[in-house]
Amino acid sequence: MTGGLLPAMSRRTRRVAFMVLAFAGAAIYLFPIYWMLISGFKSSAEIFANPPTFFPKAPNLDAFHSVFVQENIARYLTNSIIIAIPVTLLTLALGSIGAYAMSRIRSRLVDVALVLVLLLQVFPEALIATPIFIIFKWVGLLNTFQAVILATTSKTLAFALVILRPMFLQVPSELEDAAYVDGCTQFKAFWRIVVPLMRAPLLVVGAISFAQAYGEFVYPITLLNQQNLQPGSVGIYAFIGAEFADWHRVMAFASIYVLPILAMFLLLQRNIVSGLTAGALK
Amino acid sequence: MAPSRSPLLHVFLVAPVVYLLAMVGFPILYNVAMSVQDVTLRNLAQLVRPFVGLDNFRELIGDPIFRKVFVNSLAFVGVNVAGQVSLGLLAALFFAESFAGAHFLRGLLLATWMLPGLVVGALWKWMFASQYGVVNFVLAALHLIREPVHWLSDPAVAMASVMIAHVWYIMPFSMILIAAALTAIPQDLYEAAALDGAGPLARFRYVTLPALRPTLLAVACLVTIYSMRAFDMIFALTQGGPLDSSNVLPLLSYQFSFQQFKFGMGAAVGTFAVVFVLAVAVVYVRTLKQDVRA
Repeated sequence: MTGGLLPAMSRRTRRVAFMVLAFAGAAIYLFPIYWMLISGFKSSAEIFANPPTFFPKAPNLDAFHSVFVQENIARYLTNSIIIAIPVTLLTLALGSIGAYAMSRIRSRLVDVALVLVLLLQVFPEALIATPIFIIFKWVGLLNTFQAVILATTSKTLAFALVILRPMFLQVPSELEDAAYVDGCTQFKAFWRIVVPLMRAPLLVVGAISFAQAYGEFVYPITLLNQQNLQPGSVGIYAFIGAEFADWHRVMAFASIYVLPILAMFLLLQRNIVSGLTAGALK
Repeated sequence: MAPSRSPLLHVFLVAPVVYLLAMVGFPILYNVAMSVQDVTLRNLAQLVRPFVGLDNFRELIGDPIFRKVFVNSLAFVGVNVAGQVSLGLLAALFFAESFAGAHFLRGLLLATWMLPGLVVGALWKWMFASQYGVVNFVLAALHLIREPVHWLSDPAVAMASVMIAHVWYIMPFSMILIAAALTAIPQDLYEAAALDGAGPLARFRYVTLPALRPTLLAVACLVTIYSMRAFDMIFALTQGGPLDSSNVLPLLSYQFSFQQFKFGMGAAVGTFAVVFVLAVAVVYVRTLKQDVRA
Protein backbone atom coordinates (compact mmCIF):
# COMPACT_ATOMS: atom_id res chain seq x y z
CA MET A 1 0.00 0.00 0.00
CA THR A 2 3.04 2.29 0.30
CA GLY A 3 2.95 2.62 -3.47
CA GLY A 4 -0.48 4.21 -3.13
CA LEU A 5 0.60 6.51 -0.34
CA LEU A 6 3.61 8.04 -2.03
CA PRO A 7 1.83 9.80 -4.89
CA ALA A 8 -0.73 11.05 -2.40
CA MET A 9 2.02 12.53 -0.25
CA SER A 10 3.81 14.13 -3.16
CA ARG A 11 0.55 15.52 -4.42
CA ARG A 12 0.02 17.11 -1.04
CA THR A 13 3.52 18.54 -0.93
CA ARG A 14 2.98 19.84 -4.42
CA ARG A 15 -0.20 21.57 -3.34
CA VAL A 16 1.50 23.20 -0.38
CA ALA A 17 4.42 24.29 -2.54
CA PHE A 18 2.05 25.83 -5.06
CA MET A 19 0.14 27.58 -2.29
CA VAL A 20 3.28 29.09 -0.76
CA LEU A 21 4.49 30.18 -4.19
CA ALA A 22 1.10 31.70 -5.01
CA PHE A 23 0.90 33.69 -1.80
CA ALA A 24 4.46 34.96 -2.23
CA GLY A 25 3.83 35.83 -5.87
CA ALA A 26 0.58 37.64 -5.14
CA ALA A 27 2.23 39.55 -2.28
CA ILE A 28 5.01 40.74 -4.59
CA TYR A 29 2.56 41.59 -7.36
CA LEU A 30 0.34 43.62 -5.09
CA PHE A 31 3.27 45.21 -3.23
CA PRO A 32 2.81 48.56 -5.05
CA ILE A 33 -0.69 48.86 -3.58
CA TYR A 34 0.68 48.08 -0.12
CA TRP A 35 3.41 50.67 -0.69
CA MET A 36 0.83 53.29 -1.58
CA LEU A 37 -1.27 52.54 1.49
CA ILE A 38 1.61 52.68 3.99
CA SER A 39 3.45 55.65 2.48
CA GLY A 40 0.66 57.95 3.63
CA PHE A 41 1.32 56.99 7.24
CA LYS A 42 4.95 58.11 7.14
CA SER A 43 6.27 61.46 8.30
CA SER A 44 7.98 63.84 5.90
CA ALA A 45 11.34 62.64 7.28
CA GLU A 46 10.57 58.95 7.11
CA ILE A 47 9.19 59.05 3.57
CA PHE A 48 12.64 60.05 2.25
CA ALA A 49 14.57 57.80 4.63
CA ASN A 50 17.34 55.63 3.23
CA PRO A 51 16.94 52.69 3.52
CA PRO A 52 13.16 53.03 3.16
CA THR A 53 11.04 51.52 5.92
CA PHE A 54 8.78 48.69 4.79
CA PHE A 55 6.57 49.22 7.79
CA PRO A 56 6.08 52.80 9.04
CA LYS A 57 8.26 53.27 12.13
CA ALA A 58 6.16 56.04 13.61
CA PRO A 59 2.81 55.81 11.84
CA ASN A 60 0.94 59.09 11.98
CA LEU A 61 -1.95 60.80 10.29
CA ASP A 62 -0.22 64.09 9.44
CA ALA A 63 -0.28 63.45 5.71
CA PHE A 64 -3.97 62.50 5.80
CA HIS A 65 -4.70 65.57 7.88
CA SER A 66 -3.00 67.89 5.42
CA VAL A 67 -4.73 66.17 2.50
CA PHE A 68 -8.09 66.90 4.08
CA VAL A 69 -7.33 70.41 5.32
CA GLN A 70 -4.97 71.87 2.71
CA GLU A 71 -5.85 69.88 -0.39
CA ASN A 72 -9.57 69.70 0.30
CA ILE A 73 -9.75 66.08 -0.78
CA ALA A 74 -13.35 65.89 0.41
CA ARG A 75 -14.43 68.20 -2.40
CA TYR A 76 -12.51 66.21 -5.02
CA LEU A 77 -14.04 62.96 -3.79
CA THR A 78 -17.53 64.42 -3.71
CA ASN A 79 -17.08 65.55 -7.31
CA SER A 80 -15.82 62.10 -8.33
CA ILE A 81 -18.88 60.51 -6.78
CA ILE A 82 -21.27 63.09 -8.23
CA ILE A 83 -19.89 62.13 -11.64
CA ALA A 84 -19.67 58.38 -11.09
CA ILE A 85 -23.17 57.68 -9.78
CA PRO A 86 -25.15 59.13 -12.73
CA VAL A 87 -22.70 57.52 -15.16
CA THR A 88 -23.36 54.17 -13.49
CA LEU A 89 -27.14 54.58 -13.60
CA LEU A 90 -27.16 55.82 -17.20
CA THR A 91 -24.86 52.97 -18.24
CA LEU A 92 -27.05 50.39 -16.54
CA ALA A 93 -30.22 51.80 -18.08
CA LEU A 94 -28.94 52.09 -21.64
CA GLY A 95 -26.77 48.99 -21.32
CA SER A 96 -29.52 46.71 -20.12
CA ILE A 97 -32.12 47.76 -22.67
CA GLY A 98 -29.55 47.59 -25.47
CA ALA A 99 -28.21 44.19 -24.43
CA TYR A 100 -31.75 42.89 -23.96
CA ALA A 101 -32.74 44.02 -27.45
CA MET A 102 -29.58 42.47 -28.89
CA SER A 103 -30.41 39.17 -27.25
CA ARG A 104 -34.05 39.11 -28.44
CA ILE A 105 -34.15 40.62 -31.92
CA ARG A 106 -33.30 38.07 -34.58
CA SER A 107 -32.09 39.97 -37.59
CA ARG A 108 -28.92 41.24 -39.21
CA LEU A 109 -29.64 44.52 -37.48
CA VAL A 110 -28.22 43.07 -34.27
CA ASP A 111 -25.01 42.02 -35.99
CA VAL A 112 -24.60 45.52 -37.38
CA ALA A 113 -25.28 47.08 -33.98
CA LEU A 114 -22.92 44.70 -32.23
CA VAL A 115 -20.05 45.31 -34.64
CA LEU A 116 -20.68 49.05 -34.32
CA VAL A 117 -20.51 48.85 -30.54
CA LEU A 118 -17.37 46.73 -30.61
CA LEU A 119 -15.74 49.21 -32.97
CA LEU A 120 -16.80 52.24 -30.99
CA GLN A 121 -15.53 50.82 -27.72
CA VAL A 122 -11.96 50.72 -28.99
CA PHE A 123 -11.34 54.40 -29.58
CA PRO A 124 -8.97 56.12 -27.18
CA GLU A 125 -10.84 58.96 -25.54
CA ALA A 126 -7.78 61.19 -25.64
CA LEU A 127 -8.09 61.19 -29.44
CA ILE A 128 -11.63 62.51 -29.45
CA ALA A 129 -11.16 64.98 -26.61
CA THR A 130 -11.17 67.97 -28.99
CA PRO A 131 -14.47 67.13 -30.75
CA ILE A 132 -16.05 66.30 -27.39
CA PHE A 133 -14.90 69.67 -26.10
CA ILE A 134 -16.41 71.37 -29.17
CA ILE A 135 -19.73 69.50 -28.88
CA PHE A 136 -20.18 70.59 -25.29
CA LYS A 137 -19.12 74.12 -26.16
CA TRP A 138 -21.91 74.14 -28.79
CA VAL A 139 -24.55 73.01 -26.36
CA GLY A 140 -23.21 75.30 -23.64
CA LEU A 141 -22.37 72.59 -21.13
CA LEU A 142 -18.67 73.31 -20.61
CA ASN A 143 -17.77 73.38 -16.93
CA THR A 144 -20.76 71.28 -15.89
CA PHE A 145 -20.93 67.80 -14.42
CA GLN A 146 -23.53 66.89 -17.06
CA ALA A 147 -20.92 67.19 -19.80
CA VAL A 148 -18.46 64.89 -18.02
CA ILE A 149 -21.24 62.44 -17.17
CA LEU A 150 -22.52 62.25 -20.76
CA ALA A 151 -19.02 61.91 -22.22
CA THR A 152 -17.86 59.31 -19.70
CA THR A 153 -20.96 57.19 -20.22
CA SER A 154 -19.95 56.66 -23.84
CA LYS A 155 -16.89 54.83 -22.55
CA THR A 156 -18.65 52.68 -19.96
CA LEU A 157 -21.71 51.95 -22.12
CA ALA A 158 -19.87 50.16 -24.91
CA PHE A 159 -18.17 47.94 -22.35
CA ALA A 160 -21.50 47.27 -20.60
CA LEU A 161 -23.17 46.19 -23.85
CA VAL A 162 -20.34 43.81 -24.68
CA ILE A 163 -20.47 42.21 -21.22
CA LEU A 164 -24.26 42.12 -20.84
CA ARG A 165 -25.37 40.75 -24.21
CA PRO A 166 -24.23 37.15 -23.61
CA MET A 167 -25.77 37.33 -20.13
CA PHE A 168 -29.17 38.29 -21.49
CA LEU A 169 -28.88 35.55 -24.10
CA GLN A 170 -28.83 33.04 -21.26
CA VAL A 171 -32.30 34.02 -20.06
CA PRO A 172 -34.70 31.70 -21.90
CA SER A 173 -37.34 33.72 -23.74
CA GLU A 174 -39.97 31.12 -22.69
CA LEU A 175 -40.16 32.96 -19.38
CA GLU A 176 -41.32 36.08 -21.14
CA ASP A 177 -43.62 34.09 -23.44
CA ALA A 178 -45.46 32.84 -20.38
CA ALA A 179 -45.84 36.41 -19.19
CA TYR A 180 -47.24 37.51 -22.57
CA VAL A 181 -49.84 34.75 -22.34
CA ASP A 182 -50.86 36.29 -19.04
CA GLY A 183 -51.29 39.61 -20.81
CA CYS A 184 -48.04 41.30 -19.81
CA THR A 185 -46.67 44.05 -22.01
CA GLN A 186 -43.16 43.66 -23.32
CA PHE A 187 -41.84 46.39 -21.07
CA LYS A 188 -43.40 44.77 -18.04
CA ALA A 189 -41.93 41.40 -18.98
CA PHE A 190 -38.51 43.00 -19.33
CA TRP A 191 -38.76 44.96 -16.10
CA ARG A 192 -40.48 42.40 -13.88
CA ILE A 193 -38.97 39.14 -15.17
CA VAL A 194 -35.72 39.70 -17.05
CA VAL A 195 -34.14 42.51 -15.01
CA PRO A 196 -34.53 40.71 -11.65
CA LEU A 197 -32.82 37.64 -13.14
CA MET A 198 -29.99 39.86 -14.33
CA ARG A 199 -29.28 41.33 -10.89
CA ALA A 200 -25.81 39.75 -10.53
CA PRO A 201 -24.45 40.76 -13.98
CA LEU A 202 -25.94 44.24 -13.62
CA LEU A 203 -24.20 44.57 -10.27
CA VAL A 204 -20.87 43.66 -11.88
CA VAL A 205 -21.34 46.04 -14.78
CA GLY A 206 -22.47 48.74 -12.35
CA ALA A 207 -19.38 48.25 -10.18
CA ILE A 208 -16.98 48.36 -13.12
CA SER A 209 -18.73 51.38 -14.64
CA PHE A 210 -18.58 53.14 -11.30
CA ALA A 211 -14.86 52.42 -10.97
CA GLN A 212 -14.17 53.63 -14.50
CA ALA A 213 -16.19 56.81 -14.11
CA TYR A 214 -14.73 57.46 -10.67
CA GLY A 215 -11.20 57.27 -12.07
CA GLU A 216 -11.90 59.04 -15.37
CA PHE A 217 -9.34 61.71 -16.19
CA VAL A 218 -9.42 62.78 -19.84
CA TYR A 219 -12.98 64.12 -19.95
CA PRO A 220 -12.89 66.04 -16.65
CA ILE A 221 -9.59 67.71 -17.48
CA THR A 222 -10.87 68.60 -20.95
CA LEU A 223 -14.37 69.75 -20.02
CA LEU A 224 -13.88 71.29 -16.57
CA ASN A 225 -11.50 74.15 -15.94
CA GLN A 226 -12.86 75.27 -12.59
CA GLN A 227 -10.98 73.76 -9.71
CA ASN A 228 -14.07 73.43 -7.51
CA LEU A 229 -15.66 71.06 -10.05
CA GLN A 230 -12.70 68.78 -10.60
CA PRO A 231 -12.69 65.13 -9.48
CA GLY A 232 -9.99 63.21 -7.61
CA SER A 233 -8.08 62.14 -10.72
CA VAL A 234 -7.43 65.76 -11.65
CA GLY A 235 -6.65 66.51 -8.00
CA ILE A 236 -3.87 63.92 -7.96
CA TYR A 237 -2.54 65.17 -11.23
CA ALA A 238 -2.25 68.74 -9.96
CA PHE A 239 -0.43 67.30 -6.97
CA ILE A 240 2.31 65.47 -8.87
CA GLY A 241 2.66 68.01 -11.65
CA ALA A 242 5.50 69.64 -9.74
CA GLU A 243 8.97 68.14 -10.20
CA PHE A 244 9.35 67.49 -6.51
CA ALA A 245 6.34 66.06 -4.76
CA ASP A 246 5.53 65.44 -1.11
CA TRP A 247 5.11 61.77 -1.71
CA HIS A 248 3.62 60.88 1.66
CA ARG A 249 0.84 63.40 0.97
CA VAL A 250 0.37 62.23 -2.62
CA MET A 251 0.11 58.63 -1.41
CA ALA A 252 -2.27 59.63 1.38
CA PHE A 253 -4.43 61.37 -1.23
CA ALA A 254 -4.24 58.37 -3.57
CA SER A 255 -5.06 55.93 -0.74
CA ILE A 256 -8.20 57.79 0.27
CA TYR A 257 -9.17 58.30 -3.34
CA VAL A 258 -8.98 54.58 -4.23
CA LEU A 259 -10.45 53.34 -0.97
CA PRO A 260 -14.08 53.21 -2.22
CA ILE A 261 -12.95 51.36 -5.36
CA LEU A 262 -10.82 48.85 -3.48
CA ALA A 263 -13.54 48.27 -0.88
CA MET A 264 -16.12 47.68 -3.61
CA PHE A 265 -13.71 45.38 -5.41
CA LEU A 266 -13.00 43.26 -2.33
CA LEU A 267 -16.71 43.01 -1.62
CA LEU A 268 -17.67 42.00 -5.17
CA GLN A 269 -14.47 40.29 -6.22
CA ARG A 270 -16.07 36.92 -7.01
CA ASN A 271 -18.91 38.46 -8.98
CA ILE A 272 -16.58 40.76 -10.91
CA VAL A 273 -14.22 37.95 -11.87
CA SER A 274 -17.00 35.61 -12.97
CA GLY A 275 -18.84 38.42 -14.75
CA LEU A 276 -15.77 39.36 -16.75
CA THR A 277 -14.95 35.79 -17.67
CA ALA A 278 -18.49 35.13 -18.82
CA GLY A 279 -18.89 38.24 -20.90
CA ALA A 280 -15.73 39.92 -22.07
CA LEU A 281 -14.86 37.56 -24.89
CA LYS A 282 -18.29 36.64 -26.20
CA MET B 1 -45.63 34.33 -28.94
CA ALA B 2 -42.51 36.42 -28.47
CA PRO B 3 -42.98 39.76 -30.17
CA SER B 4 -39.41 39.92 -31.43
CA ARG B 5 -40.40 42.54 -34.02
CA SER B 6 -42.01 44.72 -31.44
CA PRO B 7 -41.27 48.44 -31.80
CA LEU B 8 -40.21 48.62 -28.17
CA LEU B 9 -37.30 46.21 -28.74
CA HIS B 10 -36.11 48.34 -31.60
CA VAL B 11 -36.25 51.45 -29.47
CA PHE B 12 -34.23 49.52 -26.89
CA LEU B 13 -31.65 48.68 -29.53
CA VAL B 14 -31.49 52.09 -31.14
CA ALA B 15 -31.20 54.20 -27.96
CA PRO B 16 -27.74 53.06 -26.84
CA VAL B 17 -26.45 52.79 -30.40
CA VAL B 18 -27.51 56.34 -31.21
CA TYR B 19 -25.95 57.49 -27.97
CA LEU B 20 -22.63 55.90 -28.90
CA LEU B 21 -22.80 57.23 -32.44
CA ALA B 22 -23.36 60.75 -31.11
CA MET B 23 -20.68 60.62 -28.42
CA VAL B 24 -18.03 58.52 -30.16
CA GLY B 25 -18.93 58.07 -33.84
CA PHE B 26 -19.54 61.72 -34.56
CA PRO B 27 -16.38 62.90 -32.75
CA ILE B 28 -14.31 60.43 -34.79
CA LEU B 29 -15.72 61.76 -38.06
CA TYR B 30 -15.33 65.32 -36.83
CA ASN B 31 -11.73 64.54 -36.02
CA VAL B 32 -11.15 63.23 -39.53
CA ALA B 33 -12.69 66.44 -40.91
CA MET B 34 -10.46 68.59 -38.70
CA SER B 35 -7.38 66.74 -39.86
CA VAL B 36 -7.84 68.13 -43.39
CA GLN B 37 -8.69 71.65 -42.23
CA ASP B 38 -6.79 74.63 -40.93
CA VAL B 39 -8.08 74.73 -37.37
CA THR B 40 -7.19 77.60 -35.08
CA LEU B 41 -8.39 78.68 -31.66
CA ARG B 42 -10.58 81.25 -33.40
CA ASN B 43 -12.49 78.91 -35.72
CA LEU B 44 -12.45 75.94 -33.33
CA ALA B 45 -16.19 75.91 -32.75
CA GLN B 46 -17.15 76.40 -36.40
CA LEU B 47 -18.00 73.68 -38.84
CA VAL B 48 -16.69 75.34 -42.00
CA ARG B 49 -12.98 76.01 -42.00
CA PRO B 50 -10.31 76.42 -44.69
CA PHE B 51 -9.64 73.10 -46.39
CA VAL B 52 -5.94 72.29 -46.50
CA GLY B 53 -5.99 68.80 -47.98
CA LEU B 54 -3.28 66.59 -46.62
CA ASP B 55 -1.07 69.43 -45.38
CA ASN B 56 -1.45 68.40 -41.75
CA PHE B 57 -0.46 64.84 -42.58
CA ARG B 58 2.49 66.04 -44.65
CA GLU B 59 3.68 68.20 -41.79
CA LEU B 60 3.17 65.33 -39.41
CA ILE B 61 5.13 62.79 -41.42
CA GLY B 62 7.93 65.32 -41.84
CA ASP B 63 8.05 65.82 -38.08
CA PRO B 64 10.77 63.66 -36.49
CA ILE B 65 8.89 63.74 -33.18
CA PHE B 66 5.85 62.15 -34.78
CA ARG B 67 7.96 59.42 -36.35
CA LYS B 68 9.61 58.77 -33.01
CA VAL B 69 6.27 58.66 -31.18
CA PHE B 70 4.79 56.35 -33.81
CA VAL B 71 7.65 53.90 -33.33
CA ASN B 72 7.21 54.29 -29.55
CA SER B 73 3.54 53.41 -29.82
CA LEU B 74 4.28 50.31 -31.87
CA ALA B 75 6.88 49.22 -29.33
CA PHE B 76 4.59 49.98 -26.42
CA VAL B 77 1.73 47.99 -27.93
CA GLY B 78 4.03 45.17 -29.04
CA VAL B 79 5.66 44.74 -25.65
CA ASN B 80 2.30 44.90 -23.91
CA VAL B 81 0.79 42.24 -26.16
CA ALA B 82 3.80 39.95 -25.80
CA GLY B 83 4.19 40.61 -22.08
CA GLN B 84 0.55 40.36 -21.13
CA VAL B 85 -0.31 37.33 -23.23
CA SER B 86 2.75 35.38 -22.09
CA LEU B 87 2.64 36.43 -18.43
CA GLY B 88 -1.13 36.16 -18.39
CA LEU B 89 -0.93 32.65 -19.80
CA LEU B 90 1.77 31.63 -17.32
CA ALA B 91 -0.19 33.03 -14.38
CA ALA B 92 -3.42 31.44 -15.60
CA LEU B 93 -1.71 28.04 -15.94
CA PHE B 94 -0.19 28.42 -12.50
CA PHE B 95 -3.49 29.28 -10.83
CA ALA B 96 -5.25 26.46 -12.71
CA GLU B 97 -3.43 24.03 -10.43
CA SER B 98 -5.65 22.97 -7.57
CA PHE B 99 -4.40 24.39 -4.28
CA ALA B 100 -6.01 26.30 -1.45
CA GLY B 101 -6.52 29.96 -2.23
CA ALA B 102 -5.93 29.65 -5.99
CA HIS B 103 -9.21 31.25 -7.03
CA PHE B 104 -9.09 33.89 -4.34
CA LEU B 105 -5.53 34.98 -5.14
CA ARG B 106 -6.14 34.96 -8.87
CA GLY B 107 -9.14 37.22 -8.39
CA LEU B 108 -7.28 39.46 -5.95
CA LEU B 109 -4.68 40.36 -8.56
CA LEU B 110 -7.44 42.02 -10.58
CA ALA B 111 -7.31 44.84 -8.01
CA THR B 112 -4.59 46.52 -10.10
CA TRP B 113 -6.92 46.68 -13.10
CA MET B 114 -9.60 48.43 -11.04
CA LEU B 115 -7.35 51.35 -10.07
CA PRO B 116 -7.65 54.72 -11.78
CA GLY B 117 -4.87 55.22 -14.36
CA LEU B 118 -3.81 58.43 -12.65
CA VAL B 119 -3.24 56.59 -9.38
CA VAL B 120 -1.21 53.87 -11.10
CA GLY B 121 0.92 56.56 -12.74
CA ALA B 122 1.44 58.46 -9.48
CA LEU B 123 2.25 55.26 -7.61
CA TRP B 124 4.88 54.09 -10.06
CA LYS B 125 6.33 57.59 -10.30
CA TRP B 126 6.99 57.39 -6.59
CA MET B 127 8.36 53.84 -6.72
CA PHE B 128 10.57 54.68 -9.73
CA ALA B 129 12.04 57.81 -8.08
CA SER B 130 15.82 57.69 -8.64
CA GLN B 131 16.98 58.61 -5.16
CA TYR B 132 14.23 57.56 -2.77
CA GLY B 133 12.29 55.09 -4.87
CA VAL B 134 11.72 51.60 -3.55
CA VAL B 135 12.51 49.96 -6.90
CA ASN B 136 16.11 51.18 -6.94
CA PHE B 137 16.48 50.28 -3.27
CA VAL B 138 15.33 46.70 -3.77
CA LEU B 139 17.42 46.20 -6.90
CA ALA B 140 20.50 47.58 -5.12
CA ALA B 141 19.84 45.40 -2.07
CA LEU B 142 19.70 42.36 -4.37
CA HIS B 143 22.98 43.54 -5.97
CA LEU B 144 21.28 43.76 -9.33
CA ILE B 145 22.34 47.37 -9.88
CA ARG B 146 25.28 49.41 -8.59
CA GLU B 147 24.18 52.90 -9.58
CA PRO B 148 20.60 54.13 -9.17
CA VAL B 149 18.68 53.76 -12.43
CA HIS B 150 17.01 56.95 -13.61
CA TRP B 151 13.82 55.16 -14.52
CA LEU B 152 11.85 58.21 -15.57
CA SER B 153 14.48 60.83 -16.43
CA ASP B 154 16.81 58.75 -18.60
CA PRO B 155 15.50 58.82 -22.19
CA ALA B 156 16.95 55.37 -22.78
CA VAL B 157 14.97 53.85 -19.91
CA ALA B 158 11.74 55.87 -19.61
CA MET B 159 9.83 53.85 -22.22
CA ALA B 160 10.75 50.57 -20.52
CA SER B 161 9.52 51.97 -17.19
CA VAL B 162 6.20 52.97 -18.71
CA MET B 163 5.87 49.51 -20.26
CA ILE B 164 6.58 47.77 -16.93
CA ALA B 165 3.96 49.87 -15.14
CA HIS B 166 1.36 49.26 -17.85
CA VAL B 167 1.91 45.50 -18.05
CA TRP B 168 1.54 45.40 -14.26
CA TYR B 169 -1.65 47.45 -14.51
CA ILE B 170 -3.52 45.40 -17.13
CA MET B 171 -1.96 41.91 -17.04
CA PRO B 172 -4.39 40.48 -14.42
CA PHE B 173 -7.27 41.31 -16.78
CA SER B 174 -5.60 39.28 -19.55
CA MET B 175 -4.92 36.50 -17.07
CA ILE B 176 -8.57 36.31 -15.98
CA LEU B 177 -9.77 36.02 -19.58
CA ILE B 178 -7.20 33.34 -20.40
CA ALA B 179 -8.02 31.47 -17.18
CA ALA B 180 -11.69 31.30 -18.16
CA ALA B 181 -10.82 29.72 -21.50
CA LEU B 182 -8.45 27.35 -19.74
CA THR B 183 -11.16 25.95 -17.47
CA ALA B 184 -13.42 25.50 -20.49
CA ILE B 185 -11.06 22.91 -22.05
CA PRO B 186 -12.69 19.50 -21.51
CA GLN B 187 -10.71 17.41 -19.03
CA ASP B 188 -11.09 14.21 -21.06
CA LEU B 189 -8.93 15.74 -23.82
CA TYR B 190 -6.04 15.72 -21.33
CA GLU B 191 -6.87 12.22 -20.16
CA ALA B 192 -6.96 10.93 -23.72
CA ALA B 193 -3.64 12.63 -24.46
CA ALA B 194 -2.12 11.16 -21.29
CA LEU B 195 -3.30 7.70 -22.32
CA ASP B 196 -1.55 8.21 -25.65
CA GLY B 197 1.63 8.79 -23.68
CA ALA B 198 1.78 12.60 -23.94
CA GLY B 199 3.88 14.24 -21.20
CA PRO B 200 2.99 17.59 -19.62
CA LEU B 201 4.82 19.57 -22.31
CA ALA B 202 3.24 17.62 -25.14
CA ARG B 203 -0.18 18.03 -23.54
CA PHE B 204 0.39 21.79 -23.39
CA ARG B 205 1.64 21.89 -26.95
CA TYR B 206 -1.07 19.70 -28.50
CA VAL B 207 -4.10 20.21 -26.27
CA THR B 208 -3.91 23.47 -24.30
CA LEU B 209 -2.37 25.75 -26.89
CA PRO B 210 -4.66 24.85 -29.82
CA ALA B 211 -7.73 25.11 -27.58
CA LEU B 212 -6.63 28.52 -26.34
CA ARG B 213 -5.67 29.95 -29.70
CA PRO B 214 -8.90 31.94 -30.38
CA THR B 215 -8.85 33.32 -26.84
CA LEU B 216 -5.19 34.28 -27.02
CA LEU B 217 -5.83 36.08 -30.30
CA ALA B 218 -8.82 37.90 -28.84
CA VAL B 219 -6.82 38.84 -25.73
CA ALA B 220 -3.97 40.07 -27.94
CA CYS B 221 -6.47 42.30 -29.78
CA LEU B 222 -7.96 43.58 -26.52
CA VAL B 223 -4.51 44.33 -25.12
CA THR B 224 -3.64 46.17 -28.33
CA ILE B 225 -6.79 48.24 -27.93
CA TYR B 226 -6.17 48.90 -24.23
CA SER B 227 -2.54 49.82 -24.87
CA MET B 228 -3.43 52.18 -27.70
CA ARG B 229 -5.70 53.85 -25.17
CA ALA B 230 -3.06 54.27 -22.47
CA PHE B 231 -3.06 57.92 -21.62
CA ASP B 232 -3.81 58.70 -17.97
CA MET B 233 -1.06 56.51 -16.60
CA ILE B 234 1.63 57.87 -18.93
CA PHE B 235 0.35 61.41 -18.43
CA ALA B 236 0.96 61.02 -14.70
CA LEU B 237 4.16 59.01 -14.98
CA THR B 238 6.33 60.83 -17.53
CA GLN B 239 4.14 63.19 -19.58
CA GLY B 240 5.69 61.36 -22.52
CA GLY B 241 9.16 62.65 -21.68
CA PRO B 242 12.04 63.04 -21.42
CA LEU B 243 12.44 64.24 -25.03
CA ASP B 244 9.33 62.30 -26.11
CA SER B 245 11.14 59.05 -25.33
CA SER B 246 8.01 57.63 -23.65
CA ASN B 247 5.43 59.52 -25.69
CA VAL B 248 2.63 57.66 -27.49
CA LEU B 249 0.10 58.71 -30.15
CA PRO B 250 -2.92 59.65 -27.97
CA LEU B 251 -0.70 61.71 -25.70
CA LEU B 252 0.98 63.43 -28.65
CA SER B 253 -2.44 64.20 -30.13
CA TYR B 254 -3.54 65.70 -26.83
CA GLN B 255 -0.35 67.75 -26.56
CA PHE B 256 -0.75 69.13 -30.10
CA SER B 257 -4.37 70.11 -29.44
CA PHE B 258 -4.47 71.25 -25.84
CA GLN B 259 -0.93 72.42 -25.15
CA GLN B 260 0.24 73.79 -28.50
CA PHE B 261 -3.24 74.54 -29.90
CA LYS B 262 -2.30 72.92 -33.21
CA PHE B 263 -5.72 71.31 -33.52
CA GLY B 264 -5.25 70.20 -37.13
CA MET B 265 -2.09 68.35 -36.19
CA GLY B 266 -3.73 66.82 -33.14
CA ALA B 267 -6.62 65.64 -35.29
CA ALA B 268 -4.21 64.25 -37.89
CA VAL B 269 -2.46 62.17 -35.22
CA GLY B 270 -5.91 61.03 -34.11
CA THR B 271 -6.96 60.03 -37.63
CA PHE B 272 -3.71 58.18 -38.06
CA ALA B 273 -4.27 56.26 -34.82
CA VAL B 274 -7.93 55.63 -35.68
CA VAL B 275 -6.94 53.85 -38.89
CA PHE B 276 -4.56 51.71 -36.89
CA VAL B 277 -7.08 50.94 -34.14
CA LEU B 278 -9.74 50.19 -36.73
CA ALA B 279 -7.54 47.57 -38.36
CA VAL B 280 -7.01 45.85 -35.01
CA ALA B 281 -10.70 46.16 -34.17
CA VAL B 282 -11.65 44.37 -37.40
CA VAL B 283 -9.37 41.46 -36.47
CA TYR B 284 -10.85 41.47 -32.96
CA VAL B 285 -14.45 41.42 -34.17
CA ARG B 286 -13.70 38.66 -36.65
CA THR B 287 -12.02 36.61 -33.93
CA LEU B 288 -15.03 36.97 -31.67
CA LYS B 289 -17.41 36.01 -34.48
CA GLN B 290 -15.42 32.85 -35.20
CA ASP B 291 -15.38 32.08 -31.50
CA VAL B 292 -19.16 32.29 -31.35
CA ARG B 293 -19.63 30.01 -34.35
CA ALA B 294 -17.09 27.42 -33.22
